[in-house]
Amino acid sequence: MGTQIVEIREALRQAMDEEMARDSRIFIIGEEVAEYNGAYKVTKGMLAKWGPERIIDTPISENGFAGLAIGAAQTGLLPIVEFMSWNFSFVAADQLISNACKAYYMSGGRYSVPIVFRGPNGAAAQVSCQHSHCVESIYGNLPGFIVISPSNSYDAKGLLKSAIRANNPVIFLENELDYGEKMEIPTEEFLVPIGKAKVIKEGRHVTLVSYCRMLKFCREASDILAKKGISVEIIDLRTIKPLDIATVASSVRKTHRCVLVEEGHIFSGISAEVGFQIQQHCFDDLDAPLVRVCQRETPMPYSKVLEKETIPNTDRILAALTEVLR
Amino acid sequence: MSKEPYHFFQADFHKLLSSIDQNLLKDVLRQMFLIRNFEQRGEAAYQQGKVGGFYHSYAGQEAIQTACIAACGRDHWYTTTYRCHALALLLGASPNAMMAELYGRSTGIAKGLGGSMHMYADRMLGGLAIVGGHIPIASGAAFTIKYLKQKGLVSLCFLGEGASVQGAFHESLNLAALWNLPLICVIENNQWGMGTAASRAVCVKPIAEHFAKAYGIKSYTFDGLDFFNCYAGFKDALNECIRTSRPILIEAVTERFRGHSISDPGLYRSKEALKETMEKDPLFRLKSVLLEEEILTEEECAAMDKEARDIMIAAMKFADESPWPDPITLEEGVFAPQEKI
Repeated sequence: MGTQIVEIREALRQAMDEEMARDSRIFIIGEEVAEYNGAYKVTKGMLAKWGPERIIDTPISENGFAGLAIGAAQTGLLPIVEFMSWNFSFVAADQLISNACKAYYMSGGRYSVPIVFRGPNGAAAQVSCQHSHCVESIYGNLPGFIVISPSNSYDAKGLLKSAIRANNPVIFLENELDYGEKMEIPTEEFLVPIGKAKVIKEGRHVTLVSYCRMLKFCREASDILAKKGISVEIIDLRTIKPLDIATVASSVRKTHRCVLVEEGHIFSGISAEVGFQIQQHCFDDLDAPLVRVCQRETPMPYSKVLEKETIPNTDRILAALTEVLR
Repeated sequence: MSKEPYHFFQADFHKLLSSIDQNLLKDVLRQMFLIRNFEQRGEAAYQQGKVGGFYHSYAGQEAIQTACIAACGRDHWYTTTYRCHALALLLGASPNAMMAELYGRSTGIAKGLGGSMHMYADRMLGGLAIVGGHIPIASGAAFTIKYLKQKGLVSLCFLGEGASVQGAFHESLNLAALWNLPLICVIENNQWGMGTAASRAVCVKPIAEHFAKAYGIKSYTFDGLDFFNCYAGFKDALNECIRTSRPILIEAVTERFRGHSISDPGLYRSKEALKETMEKDPLFRLKSVLLEEEILTEEECAAMDKEARDIMIAAMKFADESPWPDPITLEEGVFAPQEKI
């Protein structure tokens, strides 16, 4: 079996390219996806290959084109909507919240909405509060959405292919700072199933649950503790909703301690939900209260000193691990 | 407010009358009776406590959508607002299933999950209840028609004058004009956005004639109380949309008979003004023409009305006797089955 080393952006592009070859109903729509080759070059070269009928530049009109894509999905097409930043999805919030995730249920099963909304989520480098918000707990609160957030090229490709084939609306959350992360992946076609978390490092003493970019800091913290003889098990959720609580609970039953790390804010966050489900399933197994490491309760500050302070980092994760291991 | 006289679509009434099949005219009147009776019975059921939530009656506006379906047919994509009962009936939804939907029963058109504001039919995407939020969905249907090169089809979207100042409306018009989508937006100006008069909400009058210019598209103004004007206008607009592959904006000037919803007593309108409005009843107007032209007799009209009433009374009985949704099914149908690929 052949392998290739690809960046996450290339893995995402391959996923869309392969699926577009499989099904002519798939098209990509968003700001700067075509002639500009994508604000972050995820769609680089796709206009040249597929033409303007399937790689579609839009005006800055998120509410208009997100809703248009939802309507297209309801009437037989398979749209992939790129948000240049998930923060711009707020302008289209009515379309996502009132139509995309509700149309199938409220129509009594008449109109499904097979659509993928994708783009970079959360903070980049000092882009301040209106471009840095993490949206997963907002959209995760809405029944009807699948929420996915991969952390590496393999999962990015395999999960995006699964998302495109899903018959329901998918919120697909990428990370701007990680688009250039490289990984060796198969050249042959593969899929990654939706709804399956993965133990990315086995350990015995404590479980660390996270997803997407924060896993980098989790690994660093784990490496530091390994030198002190402490073995950390790290779980990559990969799919946030539906949540694979079975994989998380199995780990917690083994380690009896757990830290949850999330780039987004702490109140009503994903880690609040995962933590709640852990106490439901593992109440008698826990040897210490759960600890969360999340973004502090402020809009994202611009100054890099403050930005670094508010986003979870290796030091804060280490402190949390130390606390639950005490 | 920028105000100019309306330029109503011009159609020669007598020429038109002789060109329309008499059976079609009878059928159209029958449909208007069905709509009127459905709304009367639906509101009665509401007053009896059988129907919950909101209830928005289409009474007084029947000529517009009835003419639209008669002129354009049922093959196109249709989307409308929460005032959606007439369109679903016209597109073939059964009165039984619609009434059962109002009653929240498992036999409802949306299995009791949608209610009064979310009616559907085979080519009807809703029944959508956020003012203006349904217009991008309709533009998506127009996009699909263009993408799949489905010649002769368009996407028709009804909205109120209140929605004509929503961002979603203007974004959709820009996209549809930019991309040459076969989208026909029909502003049913019923003069009131809940209790706010159109003149207090929209900065221009006529609406379509003004806004269409801004997007470089063609506009029409119809007398929304006159079936014949609407019918001829929709025929022309449909041909124009298909011929040019360009979006079209229509304003059909009408006035609703009832409050915004059933819970609105309409205190902002004087009794005299309402009486004056109801004297312009589009159903009565069409009926008068058919009587004058001796296409129907008074007795035949009365029989038609009675038949519609009987259908709706039977629908109420059907709804009343239908099973409630089984609570065990509550969480079913949030996600569509994976049958697409």
